[in-house]
Amino acid sequence: MLASLAWRNIWRQPVRSILSLIGLAFTSMLLVFMLSFQLGSYDTMKIGALGLFDGFGQFQPVGYDDDPDISRLLPEWEAILEAVEIKGVDAATPRASSFAIMAKDETSFGAAVIGVDPAREPLVSNLSTTIIEGRYLAPEDDATIIMGEGLARNLGLVLGDTVIMLGTGNDGAVAADVLELVGIFSTGISAIDRQITQMPLTRFQETYNLGNAVNVVAIRGADFKGVERAATDLRAHATENGVVYLDWKELQPELEQMIILDISSNIMFYIIMVVVVVFILLNTLYMSVLERTREFGGLMAIGMRPRQIGAMVWLELIFLSLLGTAIGIALGAALVIWLEGVGIEIPGADEVMAQWGMKGRIYPDLSFLSATVAPAVIVLSIVVLGFIPYRRILGLEPVSAMGAA
Amino acid sequence: MKYITRRNTLKLGAAALLFPSVALAQDPVAILDAAFDNWRATSSHAVMEMTIRTATGIRNLEMESWTLGDDKALVRFTAPARDAGNATLQDGNRTYVFNPRLNQVIQLPASAMSQSWMGSDFSYDDLAKSESVVSDYTHTLLQTRSSGGHKVYVIQSIPKRGVPVVWGSLVVSVRDDYVLMGQDFYDQNGQLVRSMVADRVTTLGGRPYPVQLTMSSVATPGQWTKIVTKSAEFDVSFPTYLFTRSNLQNPR
Repeated sequence: MLASLAWRNIWRQPVRSILSLIGLAFTSMLLVFMLSFQLGSYDTMKIGALGLFDGFGQFQPVGYDDDPDISRLLPEWEAILEAVEIKGVDAATPRASSFAIMAKDETSFGAAVIGVDPAREPLVSNLSTTIIEGRYLAPEDDATIIMGEGLARNLGLVLGDTVIMLGTGNDGAVAADVLELVGIFSTGISAIDRQITQMPLTRFQETYNLGNAVNVVAIRGADFKGVERAATDLRAHATENGVVYLDWKELQPELEQMIILDISSNIMFYIIMVVVVVFILLNTLYMSVLERTREFGGLMAIGMRPRQIGAMVWLELIFLSLLGTAIGIALGAALVIWLEGVGIEIPGADEVMAQWGMKGRIYPDLSFLSATVAPAVIVLSIVVLGFIPYRRILGLEPVSAMGAA
Repeated sequence: MKYITRRNTLKLGAAALLFPSVALAQDPVAILDAAFDNWRATSSHAVMEMTIRTATGIRNLEMESWTLGDDKALVRFTAPARDAGNATLQDGNRTYVFNPRLNQVIQLPASAMSQSWMGSDFSYDDLAKSESVVSDYTHTLLQTRSSGGHKVYVIQSIPKRGVPVVWGSLVVSVRDDYVLMGQDFYDQNGQLVRSMVADRVTTLGGRPYPVQLTMSSVATPGQWTKIVTKSAEFDVSFPTYLFTRSNLQNPR
């Protein structure tokens, strides 16, 4: 009864109600889109930053994260590779790494040297797609190396040159080798381009006296979220093998910190938007309550209790906000679903994005959270603040109310 | 305050004129200079053994070293077979390594100076910068204690402003006959990172000498590097080509 009254009341002033609805719908749509865009950009960022090299997760020897010493080894890495059987994980690759001095004639620079399996590595890391000269390591390679363009330039190397590598082996003895430069990569991240080199794992193990052991196993899945969901199974798999599993937050804590910082600064903006919309709507409705004082007096005179009238007005508010946000969610979701397919190009942001290994477009990501959280906050605030007109109605007297202007 | 300090300095200066030996004993810079002079003299030639205890096992290396002045040093490994022939040359602020397998001399980049030297607890910086401690740091005498019939000066060294150094501070112990007894290395936060101790002092090459030194890092308990000097001669003269790159690669 009250509900149908409230619904009819909304449409007694169609223009005002529709304007309120448009305001609500538009804000909700915007919030749904912005949240989806923001969360989607984090996923793009994570895939870019972790997919470039680290992998979506890594198995490491205990303590390796704090002190990545070559002597912390995974002798049973072949068993760890079976992580690919876990749902959500599609590829795994072994790696060994150390610090070495790279020298050419009179010039020398320190760099990280990573022994990789040329067949498995491209399934986990995108580094092979950033080769700008020559080629990536191939399975039949032996004494070969690839490096970033910054390091190659610093050393004055061109493709086909030999480079001298001098490091310290697992046993502490000098690990020295002469390698042929077969590829140069450019990731756009200068720290990587100046400090990373890769060589075939088997040659690395020989030179650094590792036997058949490696330092880490990196994994990847087709879907970033799939690997995140598999974290429990991955940790169990690590425990079984006496090693530790590191997820993306542990591999790149600065990325997580940046995301948290970004979220908190945006939350301020969202709160302001919600507050503005809620108070504008509340103001409209409160005005309508004020000008309907005579009507309420009449209703009381024919026997309706102030509490019922208050509830009716409160329901009007709730209906209006529910309808408005529902339209907003529908429009916002439609927009995001369309953009999920085509992506959004941000002109001029290429360099900033390259720092995080991102390329070109950002794809928003519609989730239950991004679609509902902001509209829910709007509805909830309106429901709570609807108490204000409700209280005003409770204080009305039939006679004086009917006499009001 | 400043005025008083200056007056004290004047007093000390006057005391130095009257009692030179007393002043020398109390001046931390003079103590350190004397200790390094005892350690390397104007030139030195020594045969040493280095034992490295790591998590994976023990390695024994034998080496021969030559030093000239403050800034020239050559170390050549002689055993075991797989390490023999590797050599390190320090010439001023440049450090070169020679590897016989590559038959190549490589100048170390600055970024590699903090790396382990031959897998030991010593770094290349230890080789290159040991003497610049005297000029790159300011020194204060913390205390004088007695040990085994000797006085031991404990000197704290804090890097001078603007000097690129690895350590936050050093604490050096020097015996009254200028034998280097130990050195503690602290980081920028005042945490002890590693320490070197002279385990055995005997007479070598006609002078009291710390013949056995052990370096260990706080981060890796149970692991250490011990250097034992088997024989040494001091203030000998060397041919000038000894500390050159060509000699590093092709010893004459």
